[in-house]
Amino acid sequence: MVDQTAIIVISAFLGLASGIIMHRSDFCVAGMFRDLFLFRHSPLLRSLFLLVAVSMFLFQTAQLTGVLNYNLPSSLYGLPALTNLLGGTLFGIGMVLAGGCVVGTLYKLGSGSLPAACAFSGLLIGSALYGEFHPFWMQLTQATRLGDAATLPQLLQLPPTLVIFILLLMAGGLLYQWQIKGLLVRPNRIKGYLQPWIAALLLAMIGLTSFTLLGMPIGVTTSYAKIGALCENLMFPGHVASLSYFQSHNFSYFLPLSRQTLHAGAGPVWDGLALVQLPLIAGIIVGSGLSAVSMGKFNRCFTVPCRQLLSALVGGIIMGLAARMAPACNIWHLFGGLPLLSLQSILFTLGLFPGAWIGSFIFARYIVQQ
Amino acid sequence: MPEAVNKTVEIDVRGQICPSSLLTTLREVNKHKQLLRCGTLQLEILTDNHDSTNRICDAVGNMGYHVEVLDEDNYYRISIVKLAVKMGL
Repeated sequence: MVDQTAIIVISAFLGLASGIIMHRSDFCVAGMFRDLFLFRHSPLLRSLFLLVAVSMFLFQTAQLTGVLNYNLPSSLYGLPALTNLLGGTLFGIGMVLAGGCVVGTLYKLGSGSLPAACAFSGLLIGSALYGEFHPFWMQLTQATRLGDAATLPQLLQLPPTLVIFILLLMAGGLLYQWQIKGLLVRPNRIKGYLQPWIAALLLAMIGLTSFTLLGMPIGVTTSYAKIGALCENLMFPGHVASLSYFQSHNFSYFLPLSRQTLHAGAGPVWDGLALVQLPLIAGIIVGSGLSAVSMGKFNRCFTVPCRQLLSALVGGIIMGLAARMAPACNIWHLFGGLPLLSLQSILFTLGLFPGAWIGSFIFARYIVQQ
Repeated sequence: MPEAVNKTVEIDVRGQICPSSLLTTLREVNKHKQLLRCGTLQLEILTDNHDSTNRICDAVGNMGYHVEVLDEDNYYRISIVKLAVKMGL
């Protein structure tokens, strides 16, 4: 029997901590990629690099010491296909237009941002819309499958520990250079500001805790599809019942706390994914809200240009669609899959760059009023 | 001899999607470049975003202006003036 209360409490606590950390450090993943193209300078991207490197070390150490036990491919990270790259590109466009990624939107929503509320609505709409063409997309994914290796070490046919050791040596050298030059530290002009490099370390610890106790890295977007389907179900129950995407329960994962394998899906029902992700979503919003109130910076400004609100809504829809097509969101891939060297996540990340470039171009040209 | 600041222009970018705060600030600094450089104008940017506050200060500071952040009620007020004016030259 799964102790649901314990899982809900742990997940909500991880969400609460993530919300506070992300709000205090303004850990905006969308901004990290966008600024690279818009300003040719993205100081926060170094913190994301640190997060991935530290998570890689933590996950591998946990695996070697028996704390973690996973094998890919699995429901968490499957076999790579060109659709991962396409999904990443579309996601990159969406997150720049929305002004935040799937959790960036949550922590900004928690601090009272009106555009984030539009982006959140868009995320729910986009996630539900995906159900309309899921069978076609699955066929395309099968047709563009890129082999039977799920991870980089499997592709190279080398031991994972060796590949990770080499990558960590290279990453460590680069991080050391940045540290010497003071490039990891951001100027601190704000009371209560948390340095992004500290946020990166804390978020890596949260990722490890989630993976160890709950059986998966932090992620939220399947539950966006669930909430979207729940809303659609109120209006068109017959249609929702006819969509295969909302009826399947093909996501399965091992829950270490109860030593059980749980099955879940995107349908509007309470299952193993809702159990972990919904408290996490609520936790991030509440955590960020508490952080904003404690800093005296809860947003009460509603005079945002309509063009920006529309951009956030459209960006949210694109991001919601892309997160299902990829499959999964940037947090799932960057904080979880990339440290595990999942080829799906590597392709998704590669796709984010051209996506963020296109999104930045559209944003600077059409959204910011001249 | 520089003139004293006799005009203040306030730009409110609170609540807007990033990075419009930085883009709008850079556009306004460029638009008012002449008055800012002769020291007769002070630009004040109202923002509620942590990272934008840091980024605006970095970018405008690198352009040779004096930048100051004031923590107001529920937002930040960034003042931009000619460096020499602030130093009393």
